[in-house]
Amino acid sequence: MGGKEIMIHDSALGPHQEILTARATDKKILGKAQDGGIVTALLVYALEKNIIDGTIVAGDGKEAWKPEPIVATTKKEILKSSGTKYTMCPNLAMVKEATRRYGLEKMGIVGTPCQIMGVRKMQAYPMGLRHVTDKIALIAGIYCMENFPYDSLKAFIQDKANTTPEKVVKMDISKGKLFIRTSDDETAIPIKQTHGYEQSGCRYCMDYVAELSDVSCGSVGAKPGWSTVIKRTDVGCSLVDSAVEDGVLEVTETNTGKFGLEMLRKLATNKKKQRVKNVDKALDLGLEVPFTRSDLKEDILENR
Amino acid sequence: MSKTITISPTSRQEGHATLSLEVDDEGIVTSGRYYSITPVRGIEKMVVGKRPESAPVLVQRICGVCPVTHTLASVEAIDDSLKIDVPKTGQMLREICLNAHMINSHAIHHFLVAPDFVPEDDYRQTVKNVSEIRKQAQYVEDVIGGEGIHPSDIRIGGMAHNITKNTKNKIKTRISGLMGLLEKHVEQMAGYIEAKDFPENLGVHAQPVLATSNTYGSRQNISLQSIQEIMPNSWYSDKYTAQEDEEYADETMKTAKRIGKTACSQIPLYDSTPVETGPRARANKYRRFKDKGAKAQHLARAQEMINSAERIIELVDKIDPSAQTMAKYTIEGTNRLGVGVIEGPRGTNLHTARISPEGFITEYNCIVPTTWNIPTMGMATEGTHYKYAPDVIRAYDPCLSCATHMVVVDDESKEVLKDDMVQL
Repeated sequence: MGGKEIMIHDSALGPHQEILTARATDKKILGKAQDGGIVTALLVYALEKNIIDGTIVAGDGKEAWKPEPIVATTKKEILKSSGTKYTMCPNLAMVKEATRRYGLEKMGIVGTPCQIMGVRKMQAYPMGLRHVTDKIALIAGIYCMENFPYDSLKAFIQDKANTTPEKVVKMDISKGKLFIRTSDDETAIPIKQTHGYEQSGCRYCMDYVAELSDVSCGSVGAKPGWSTVIKRTDVGCSLVDSAVEDGVLEVTETNTGKFGLEMLRKLATNKKKQRVKNVDKALDLGLEVPFTRSDLKEDILENR
Repeated sequence: MSKTITISPTSRQEGHATLSLEVDDEGIVTSGRYYSITPVRGIEKMVVGKRPESAPVLVQRICGVCPVTHTLASVEAIDDSLKIDVPKTGQMLREICLNAHMINSHAIHHFLVAPDFVPEDDYRQTVKNVSEIRKQAQYVEDVIGGEGIHPSDIRIGGMAHNITKNTKNKIKTRISGLMGLLEKHVEQMAGYIEAKDFPENLGVHAQPVLATSNTYGSRQNISLQSIQEIMPNSWYSDKYTAQEDEEYADETMKTAKRIGKTACSQIPLYDSTPVETGPRARANKYRRFKDKGAKAQHLARAQEMINSAERIIELVDKIDPSAQTMAKYTIEGTNRLGVGVIEGPRGTNLHTARISPEGFITEYNCIVPTTWNIPTMGMATEGTHYKYAPDVIRAYDPCLSCATHMVVVDDESKEVLKDDMVQL
């Protein structure tokens, strides 16, 4: 197995082979999913092609908009859990369980950049993970600037949008705003107002585009209803390529301009530059942060 | 003139042991003694004073070769002491896990004895088969036990989780798919064992067999009153008094005395005599297998793999993935002695536990398969040439680390201070 393209080393967007703009062709997926429905479509496709035999996703929890990790082994279950939930979901807590009572042998994992880093660390140091990491078949990453604890999200919904989580039908971050939609109303909260509400770990995270995943995607850099897909490893490349070939995904021209890839690059770079400062500050205070000081790095954008 | 031959440590087995043989002029063994020299770890003492939940977790560390067996025996003993009724599905999952472990462990033993039996040309293929068999068996242990080594999901009161429908189907497909290879492998091993030029009656002894069940273990089929544990000190030197010992100029007799002080395991007797336990014992009692001796033991062990696989397929069909696997219980004990009996790969594993009304373990004891076999193994070497003695030992697949106990000895005088086994 070899990649069709040569791996591009890019300190802002992480190592990748190709970037494209795509969306799912299945109307059912598009209706339910966040933007282009790429993650949902790829997981369903991988399941149908027997590339994975189940996947860990953020499923519905007991409370509205408070997801819980579940092991999905059917198309129905994957569809049910599609769409972004802007709060933390401990997906990695299920990794071992998925190989045990769920008996998965080719596991798919969906996660935010920090979770993907965790998975890769698991693979590098499989402590207490005997017969687990060899069963990970696909790692799909989603773009993430920061994430909110459930209580923060509840504060936005109750205090800013004056509604309850149960009434919210969709949440979305675009154009610098967090949109909270109910069936008859829409509230936009400027992202600036959400600062201070994010989880503390996000202050040091330098990964915007899930650099260590097999394939990562998100809405930034694509027109509404489409997603920017970054093909990274050979596993990710061959999956996306065959999904396109089989008509599961449709591809459109990628906008490389100001509102396209440039925007993606700008956001990724900004995140890194800002977090590098936080890391340096924390290290100066003698705090334990699992990242390297900026002056010890060749390129300050490096995710390490 | 007889002489003593000592093999220490004996090889291709778990743990460390010494084989001390008295042989006559023709080299025929007249008296065989096999004893453990594995250092003591003290697990049985460690669990005393702890909460019952700690016991299965600690005792499974007795040995990395059969953690499933020890965990099961431990939870069974505590279930019995606390009078917990384990739900049917939980009980079936336990049995599937044990049988998967049985296949796995027997396969490892085939790897250990392969140099004795398997022709060089077939060696690679046999090792490959063993690896494949183990892989499938370990999958079953993983998904049911939560972990192949040191299973975390076998709990007091049942099993921590049920399996999903998907997993149930996978176990069935995997084990049914393994059947072909398993049958081929067992047939091949049986062929190699038959073809081996062992002397006739190698390893045949007159001791009775001990087995409690075909595939799981049953506390109804064992009587605690019949069990007697005696000190190695008195067992290995039972023919001589202390005074006589001083008078003996003969090295052989002194060796006998020394063994009593070196041996790290007590001697359990069932109905006042040492017994053989393990695959041949089970086959003899439950599968109409009448052969005796070293070859018969290997044969019974190989055939048992198929027996276990069939049992897994039979049981997995009956699993209801939505059923309860865990009983509700409180850990207030009644000081009742709980007994857990599990038929492990090497034989009958007996754990006993007592839980106080406050909910702490006050007494814990294990008599594990190899402990039962230790005195019998020595006897089984008698009557044939000493060069075959290690083959006789390997036919029992001994696992010494769990068989180890200890006595208190004064460091300087080497005198036994406390003439009863400190349960460690």
